Amino acid sequence: MNISVFFNTYAGMYIAQAFCHSVIALIIVERVIHLWDISNPLIRQRFGLLVIVLPVVSFPFYQLINPDRGSISFRLGSLFDINRWLNLELWGSVPLGLLFIIIILITSKIFLFQEMVPVLKHTLESKRFRSDREEPDNHPSVLQALEHLSVEKPDIFTIDDDDFMLFSSTGRNPAIFISTGIMDALSEEQLQTVIAHEIAHIRRNKKPFLIIAFLFRVVMFFNPAVLLEFRRIIQEEEKICDDMAVHLTKNPAALSEALKKLYYKDKILNPLKFRGLFKMRDSLEEYSHNMQIGSRIVRLEKDSVQKVDGTWAELIFTIFVIMGINYFVV
Amino acid sequence: MTVVILVLCLKFLNYLPMAVQTDTIRRYQSIEEVRSKLNIRDIYIPSYFPQGLVWPPSEILAQEKPFAAVIMEFNSAEKEDIVLIISQSASENFKPDEKIRIQRIKDRVGYPLRGRVMMLEAGVCTNGEPCSRVSWAEEGYTITVAAKSEPPELVKIAESMIH
Repeated sequence: MNISVFFNTYAGMYIAQAFCHSVIALIIVERVIHLWDISNPLIRQRFGLLVIVLPVVSFPFYQLINPDRGSISFRLGSLFDINRWLNLELWGSVPLGLLFIIIILITSKIFLFQEMVPVLKHTLESKRFRSDREEPDNHPSVLQALEHLSVEKPDIFTIDDDDFMLFSSTGRNPAIFISTGIMDALSEEQLQTVIAHEIAHIRRNKKPFLIIAFLFRVVMFFNPAVLLEFRRIIQEEEKICDDMAVHLTKNPAALSEALKKLYYKDKILNPLKFRGLFKMRDSLEEYSHNMQIGSRIVRLEKDSVQKVDGTWAELIFTIFVIMGINYFVV
Repeated sequence: MTVVILVLCLKFLNYLPMAVQTDTIRRYQSIEEVRSKLNIRDIYIPSYFPQGLVWPPSEILAQEKPFAAVIMEFNSAEKEDIVLIISQSASENFKPDEKIRIQRIKDRVGYPLRGRVMMLEAGVCTNGEPCSRVSWAEEGYTITVAAKSEPPELVKIAESMIH
């Protein structure tokens, strides 16, 4: 099939326009967060969701209000027509559209292997751990840590492993899984904060909002801008759970110390020093992970946990700006 | 301010490929300009025009890449209204704008004309006026002629395009 023909079909137009719409939403959201100095992760996450949700609905919505939006006349008068770029030929023979398709395929592969497969693995792993044990363990140090937490406590299972393993499962019977390695490494206060963090994850996952957001993300599996934004949303999620854990334990210092002990490395080798692509990729991932943990530690040490202010007006205004501009982006 | 900068950037990014690749779709002032700037072998123009039609075309759109295509729109002399659209395209999947949209098709028949089989459709447009469309394959092009008129008039126009 001719590439230019594909990008004139509804499927092709949807993919190409969803990409453009998400990039524009990303730029606007980025500026809005900077201009209004939004530092609260919950609000940043709400704004970030616009980058994921709006491109899913924008194309069908615009087509509904103006079926002639894909016409040649509309395209000629539009703000930006991606087909002009996709039809552009490199060296007079290779259409740029081919490069775009390759980027989409790579993004889809990353989505499959770095997001879907780990989610499935995590779900299966939690089920396996759970089925291995009928009753939750009542490990004395965990019980002690939970004693002062005034929340509904999930089942907690210990994993006999010296490695640092800590994760939670959601659903009807949420549970937290914690390795003995972590229990040995952390003090009672620190253990309390990391468990509170996991409880926050369980509480947050009960809300359909996040599940719906994930479904929107799945629809945009091909979209590189959405891939980036979704990762940022996940990072914001960690910060939201940090805030909730601090709210429960009133002890940001303990959580910060726990993060340092468990995940933070003082020295990371420069990724550019590696010659092999795989080594460089692994090192880059480690570097980026360390940066994220580092920023969480800085937040906790600054005690910058804030309240959520009413920013709905700004959010609605941003939606109108994005939708207004994107209408003329075909 | 951010919005203004973004809009200007989009406008510039939209202009850039047009500047780099001059043979993609754009408006032209005349058929002669299309002939001189694009390497399109044949441009099919009717030699018969019904009365009340304005020459030259009110709008000419053409491209050479990704495939050759020319669209010509003609206005009525009486009112500023598009009454005839002629399009030719080297791709069967090319869809010109439906500025003359047949709302309700009454008849669709294969019509033999000078050794070609044309697809002739007759019906009514949005405001109830008669509309018809004919399309056929010609030397590697798909030619479509749509008019706000009865089929006999349209067939005369189409016939005059075949050399």
